[in-house]
Amino acid sequence: MSLINYSSREINCKIVYYGPGLCGKTTNLQHIYSRVPQETRGKMISLATEMDRTLFFDFLPLELGQIRGFRTRFHLYTVPGQVYYNASRKLILKGVDGIVFVADSQIDRFEANIESLMNMHDNLAEHGLSEEKIPLVMQYNKRDLPRIVSVTDLEKELNPQNHPYFEAVAFRGNGVFDTLKLSCKLVLKQLG
Amino acid sequence: MVKGNWALFEEDFWAINQILQSLMRSASARSVMLIDKTGQLINSIGEPPGFDVTSFSSLAAADFAANAQLAEMVGESDFSTLVHQGTKESLFLQVIAGRVILVVLFDRKTSLGLVRLKARRASDDLMNVLERLFEKLQYRNEEVAPPSLGADFAAEAESEIDSLFRD
Repeated sequence: MSLINYSSREINCKIVYYGPGLCGKTTNLQHIYSRVPQETRGKMISLATEMDRTLFFDFLPLELGQIRGFRTRFHLYTVPGQVYYNASRKLILKGVDGIVFVADSQIDRFEANIESLMNMHDNLAEHGLSEEKIPLVMQYNKRDLPRIVSVTDLEKELNPQNHPYFEAVAFRGNGVFDTLKLSCKLVLKQLG
Repeated sequence: MVKGNWALFEEDFWAINQILQSLMRSASARSVMLIDKTGQLINSIGEPPGFDVTSFSSLAAADFAANAQLAEMVGESDFSTLVHQGTKESLFLQVIAGRVILVVLFDRKTSLGLVRLKARRASDDLMNVLERLFEKLQYRNEEVAPPSLGADFAAEAESEIDSLFRD
């Protein structure tokens, strides 16, 4: 839920990276953190287990600077992907302005993508939200691996609504900024 | 403005500011913050804290959200206040009007009892301001976008996004 403060002239928006376990959500944020100028990014917070699996969320604030007199910030969150952390996922979706769904392109993870997408719909519905109201960008990650599903099949099964999509290799940074940029723009378009 | 979003206008901001100032003084707190339940900082006053307030706000909201789920599990509708007591610094958090969180950071110069008492009074005052604000927003949500955020804003934001976010 974007917050516009007309007195301090600030706009804050929330973008959530959603997707199945180990699909590369945290990797997206880590790449963004490593590449944006220091004055643009805040502290990255990761509430992770000892095994580096996201337990609650990762959080990265980004500051665009002054736009027409408004200090504009994006708060990026990831959800924990593992099935049994659904309570946490639901909490993080609260007040979301934009979603990036990171799908794992590997054949073995095809079902996990579908399950995660259905779970996202259920959780959005519990907040009275739906895919139609929240700008969604799809990211088909791990395109460099062998044994992956074709983009045509991913599109058919995961994206019947034709949301914009990008192919990505998040750990190398391919597609990461394209995805982020489009998501930010779609969120701001809703405000303007 | 997108339905469901919320905006803070000049007069409400100053009304909130005044309540927070008075709470900080009367409770002898170090600083007082108001945070939206989704983790966005609304206002922070008092000593500039030696930590990142943006991250702090996100964690405070997550703390509250997690505790609300715990409350539900034990059959409570909500835990309306939370206290984190340290040896030197402590935190008192209270949810107001179901949408914002009041956070008081205090040290050993004051007591939890006093903070709790003053926070309760401040939360009644804040509730009045916020309810007025939400009523106003309900009305404004029916209108088109506020004049200060228009097509120019989106265009300028887009070019800023393109120049900042790139490999």
